[in-house]
Amino acid sequence: MLLKCDKTIPERKKHIVIKGENGCGGDSSGCEIACNVPTTPGDMTERGCTYAGCRGVVGGPVKDVIQMTHGPIGCAYYSWGYRPHLADSDFHMKYIFVSDIDESNIIFGGEKKLLQSIIEASKEFPEAKGVFVYNTCPTALIGDDGKYIAKAAQEKIGKPVVFFPCEGFRGVSQSQGHHVGNMTIFDTLVGSVEPEEDYAYSINIVGDYNIKNDEKTFEHLFEDMGVNIITRFTGNVSIDDLKIMHKAQLNVVHCQRSATYIADMMREKYNTPSINVTLWGISNMSNALRDVAKFFGLEKEAERIINTETAKIKPKIEYYKKRLEGKTVFIYQGAPRAWHWPDLMRELGMEVVVAATTFGHEDDYDKIFKKVKKGTLVIDNPNAMELEEIIETYKPDLFISGNKEKYLAYKLGTSFVNGHTYETGPYAGYSGMVNFARDIDRAINTPVWEMLREKAWPVKNNSNPEVV
Amino acid sequence: MSTVTKQKRAVAINPTRSCAPIGAMLATYGVHGALTINHGSQGCATYPRHQMARHFREPIEVATTSLTEKTTIYGGRDNLIAAMENVYERYHPTMITVCSTCLSETIGDDITGIVDEFIEGHPDVDIPIITVNTPSYIGTHITGFDNFLKTVAVDFPVKDKPNGKVNIMPGWVNPGDIREIEAMTRKMGIEGIFLTDYSDTLDGGIYRPKPQFPKGGTTIEELRDSANSLATIALQKHVGGEAAEIYEKQYGIPAYTLPMPIGIENTDKFIKTLSKVTGREISEELRDERARLLDAIIDAHMFLTSLKVAIFGDPDVVEGLVRLAAEIGLEPKFALTSSDFKPWGEDMMKLSDELGLDMEIMMKSDLHELYKKIKEEPVDLIFGTSKGRFIEEDLDIPLIRMGFPIEDRFGYHRRAIVGYRGGIYLVDKITNAVLAKKGLVVSNTLLEKPVEGAD
Ligand code: SF4
Ligand code: SF4
Repeated sequence: MLLKCDKTIPERKKHIVIKGENGCGGDSSGCEIACNVPTTPGDMTERGCTYAGCRGVVGGPVKDVIQMTHGPIGCAYYSWGYRPHLADSDFHMKYIFVSDIDESNIIFGGEKKLLQSIIEASKEFPEAKGVFVYNTCPTALIGDDGKYIAKAAQEKIGKPVVFFPCEGFRGVSQSQGHHVGNMTIFDTLVGSVEPEEDYAYSINIVGDYNIKNDEKTFEHLFEDMGVNIITRFTGNVSIDDLKIMHKAQLNVVHCQRSATYIADMMREKYNTPSINVTLWGISNMSNALRDVAKFFGLEKEAERIINTETAKIKPKIEYYKKRLEGKTVFIYQGAPRAWHWPDLMRELGMEVVVAATTFGHEDDYDKIFKKVKKGTLVIDNPNAMELEEIIETYKPDLFISGNKEKYLAYKLGTSFVNGHTYETGPYAGYSGMVNFARDIDRAINTPVWEMLREKAWPVKNNSNPEVV
Repeated sequence: MSTVTKQKRAVAINPTRSCAPIGAMLATYGVHGALTINHGSQGCATYPRHQMARHFREPIEVATTSLTEKTTIYGGRDNLIAAMENVYERYHPTMITVCSTCLSETIGDDITGIVDEFIEGHPDVDIPIITVNTPSYIGTHITGFDNFLKTVAVDFPVKDKPNGKVNIMPGWVNPGDIREIEAMTRKMGIEGIFLTDYSDTLDGGIYRPKPQFPKGGTTIEELRDSANSLATIALQKHVGGEAAEIYEKQYGIPAYTLPMPIGIENTDKFIKTLSKVTGREISEELRDERARLLDAIIDAHMFLTSLKVAIFGDPDVVEGLVRLAAEIGLEPKFALTSSDFKPWGEDMMKLSDELGLDMEIMMKSDLHELYKKIKEEPVDLIFGTSKGRFIEEDLDIPLIRMGFPIEDRFGYHRRAIVGYRGGIYLVDKITNAVLAKKGLVVSNTLLEKPVEGAD
């Protein structure tokens, strides 16, 4: 389907599909959408670069390594502390390191400066357990051999130095960066030590980045049940934990876009089985506990926990459900949350009417089409103008997206919740569900929208010709 | 005696500077209906958009040519042409700024050539498309802004009848600062052409229906008319100083490059220059504001005098703040900027000599360096951006937030630190931070903890 604003870029047509129309069946059969391809040049896309996916999402949460960008200052500066991937320490949030490439390095190469940077940084912070080095566009273009430098540096400082070839232009979106991050960590760290301990009843939580302490909402539930979490990939994780990841008996995969890669590689090499879960929403969380319990034969424990936890939050959820019943939602997330959350919205009495992703692949869209109801608009990598047209046409009661889209929503008078970094959070697990519901309630039922509808003054003498 | 130092490390740890494209984007926001195309890979556009959204809390729209691996091998021409078509046809902006990135500069795209080619092939395109070189391995974020102004100074002005106005380049400041400068100008009965004015575009209201482009901003007509003004006043030497010179050389308009109008004396300079170039009297209203600032400094001096302060940020902001600090009795101990501008070091030494200061002027330095220095030689206060938060937390020293970015507090982009009223705001803020921190406040007096001399 072609939006009005896209008349001059008809290629966008393939990226916009309504479930139940034009060959996309109401049962989601035959629903096809173009995705994971380069952005139309000139679009104001929300997409980031490969570096952002690797440095910002996968590598950045590792809490006890020096997070070193090999490149010019900007790429590093912008990735400083803007993602709330928290841990029980904050070195990784507080500090950024960059080889700070300048013009002469561009001409003569930046390898020496990188080596020097790694050595200096590890001298400044001897407590760091290693160094992660992320490559950027210009240093890749001039052909710096970061991998070789990392090896040399590792010998010098006697700690792991891991090089991520995640230069921004490599992929069509940050998604490529997730992949690079997974592969690099798998190749260089996983299985690099062989501890002797007993790892019965142990799992890895794969693809959770501990946004606003999400992990605190569900970790204790797994532990209560009798399973032990070895490694979190990569929220609140130490580089040491990554090395022993292969000891787990099961990979529990949450983000199935950014972290399935490592689960697949571990299945291949170590025969580690994996299950996919959703850790947001009441029924999803319960199912996750049940699935893990089944694997270990702990079903009874799981049911006990599910009963207590759901009973605890029930009255609160019912309160919010009453206030939110019948509201419509536009979800626009990186990828998986667009299909993780429709169920959760229904648990609050709301329905998704538009779903979009920034960097979803086919499998993400398959899941979206299955989760949303007939008539829902699904759009891939929307640009700013499309977002505006959709909000104006569909008038959703709530828009869930990221920081950049927030202020567009506000200017359009639309309630908004930040689904990327959360308004408050955490949003995962049972207790997080209550936070999520409370934030949605705040967003929708705050008095300002009423004032806007009833009390806003008409604009007079507006010098701006566009205003009518 | 002060000294100028430079950091010895190669690695930058918690730098205070970012890269050039964001400066061009910000400046473009000050032109009504203008849009930026960032020629590079997506990250170089998305990151600065995100950064600006965190500071201004406004929608930030920047287009990208979305270069990928293939395009970096064959050059980015096709993408840039397609991007200009896309933006022109869908948005009909009043102007397009094409800025480069480390990526497009390294692959060597001839951006100006590609833009010319586009314009030749599109006779229907009747808007200016300017190119601003912003590889960020040269200079910092302010370089992008400065380069934008130089381009505007060369490309836009058209000589015509004198307009009686004054060109004002506020530099890299906040919307609140531009409003304050505008208000001061108006109070003198003078009309300014602001290069550029993002006061409303980046601190806008809610209008229904939403206008396609944010309200406000300097118009293209004003940019053209800027050749006919009485004078050009650049309020940041490093953001606009050279552009003002271009106005003088090419259009015969006198250029005045002044320190940023922070505090009494710097604001006086601005007001006096306005008066000089227009022949207008300094208005009563401004005299009253000045008197109130003096009054505020007197009321606060028992709390502030001889407290030590560390100041970091962009070169002109730091220079302005050092003078204000000295005016209110503080002792600047460290003044840090991350740029490697030799003239800045010299200017700072002169300022320090004039004011009799004993401080370390840290050039091409980062916040980790500042942290270590402060740890050894503690200060009472820090002036700077949100990026200094880790020092504030670790060393328990109040950080008075100013500059860009402020991303962990609310509403700072609306506040002015320039002008007499901006000075009052700063005195209030600084004094309150001291009172909140230091101890018992009773009857407008302070009892510091631990009690001195009581042991
Ligand atoms: S490549 Fe250059 S322009 Fe792009 S974000 Fe990095 S420093 Fe800035
Ligand atoms: S230069 Fe490359 S790595 Fe850096 S922000 Fe831009 S796209 Fe990303």
